[in-house]
Amino acid sequence: MNPLINVDIKLIPASRFTLDELTGIYNQTRVDYMVPMPMNTARLAEYISVYDVDLEHSFVAVQEDVMRGVAMLGVREDRAWITRLGVIPTTRRTGVGEALMAGLLEQAEKLNIQFDMLEVIKNNTPAHTLFLKLGFYEIGELLVMRHSPVVPPIEPVVADAQRLDRHEALTLVGRDRGTQPWTNQSESLFNAQEVSGLHLTLGDGSRGWLVYQRQKFTLTRFIYKTEVGDPVKVAYAFLSHLHHQYPRLDTQIENIQVNDPHLPAFYQMGYVESFRRIEMWRGTPPQSLLVR
Amino acid sequence: MKKILLIEDVSDTVELVQRILTARGYEFLHAPDAETGLQSALEFLPDLILLDLGLPDYDGQTVAGWIHNEKTLFSTPLIAFTAWPEETARDMVNSYGFNGYISKPIINVNAFVERVASFIK
Repeated sequence: MNPLINVDIKLIPASRFTLDELTGIYNQTRVDYMVPMPMNTARLAEYISVYDVDLEHSFVAVQEDVMRGVAMLGVREDRAWITRLGVIPTTRRTGVGEALMAGLLEQAEKLNIQFDMLEVIKNNTPAHTLFLKLGFYEIGELLVMRHSPVVPPIEPVVADAQRLDRHEALTLVGRDRGTQPWTNQSESLFNAQEVSGLHLTLGDGSRGWLVYQRQKFTLTRFIYKTEVGDPVKVAYAFLSHLHHQYPRLDTQIENIQVNDPHLPAFYQMGYVESFRRIEMWRGTPPQSLLVR
Repeated sequence: MKKILLIEDVSDTVELVQRILTARGYEFLHAPDAETGLQSALEFLPDLILLDLGLPDYDGQTVAGWIHNEKTLFSTPLIAFTAWPEETARDMVNSYGFNGYISKPIINVNAFVERVASFIK
């Protein structure tokens, strides 16, 4: 046995803790991260709701009545997502992270789920190494990007623009969009509040749409598609309309695949990269996740 | 006495910055989250705002956008206080209208104080 593995760790279902307690332990685990991403209770509650986090099958690691770490499991049909994994700094390298991971994978198996997804911040070597050891493999890099409201909006590209209400927007999003990262799967938009969209047709017949969530101070959770034409041209057009409509809102989008053909339009529009994640899978994607 | 507002959620960092700045004669103000930070900024009109980029309610960049849109705060020096890599910090400073950034953790107290002073008119 590895002498560093701590045998006294108890995994307790996260549902037995209050949201305040879960927020507290989560923030403690991230306090020394380069990108700490702390949360308050309201933000964690929204996260749990939007991403279908199942607290019954998520865990808090406890040792001698002290919370040492946390890990959460998202569950959607036949797939699971591991998220918010963290161990408080003074307890790292004692096996708590591995115990939490093993616990979550066991829970997924109990739910008859054979496909697990996660993302890890690029250059978080200890976590990346642990995930490889547990059978995860790399899928690709994901970008987390922002657009500042300080950047003056450009004039919207001339196009026939139609605003979409929630129902129209979610109808376009649909359900069969292939193997998207968990945060960008259609369910995330279905679960989110204040969702709306834009459909654009350009003079040359190019067309496409953007669906997004508008929060009090931010635009986020973009899902988009080019139906006809050049993705860069279409994306540039819908971004120009969006930022012209909401010039004072900050924009945060996450987990954009690095090979996304729309990406150059985001850079042209002044988006900047915050950081990168690596998407990892374990098992084979189920049929429900593949484009039909 | 010059007023400095620190918007930061990590209590150890707050205590350290408070000790350093009050010992140098600054009036120290603190807010633990974005909404409180904006309210404090509007109420006390500090001479400088040190803004953590990772806050529990809204990110520091979002706060920077609000401050940029507030006429009474537009000319207040706004400094990103971050552990992000230099290149990313520079991108955020340029995009979000910060006047500069100071890296965390504070390793050299004198260098930190000099950097703070350099942003105050």
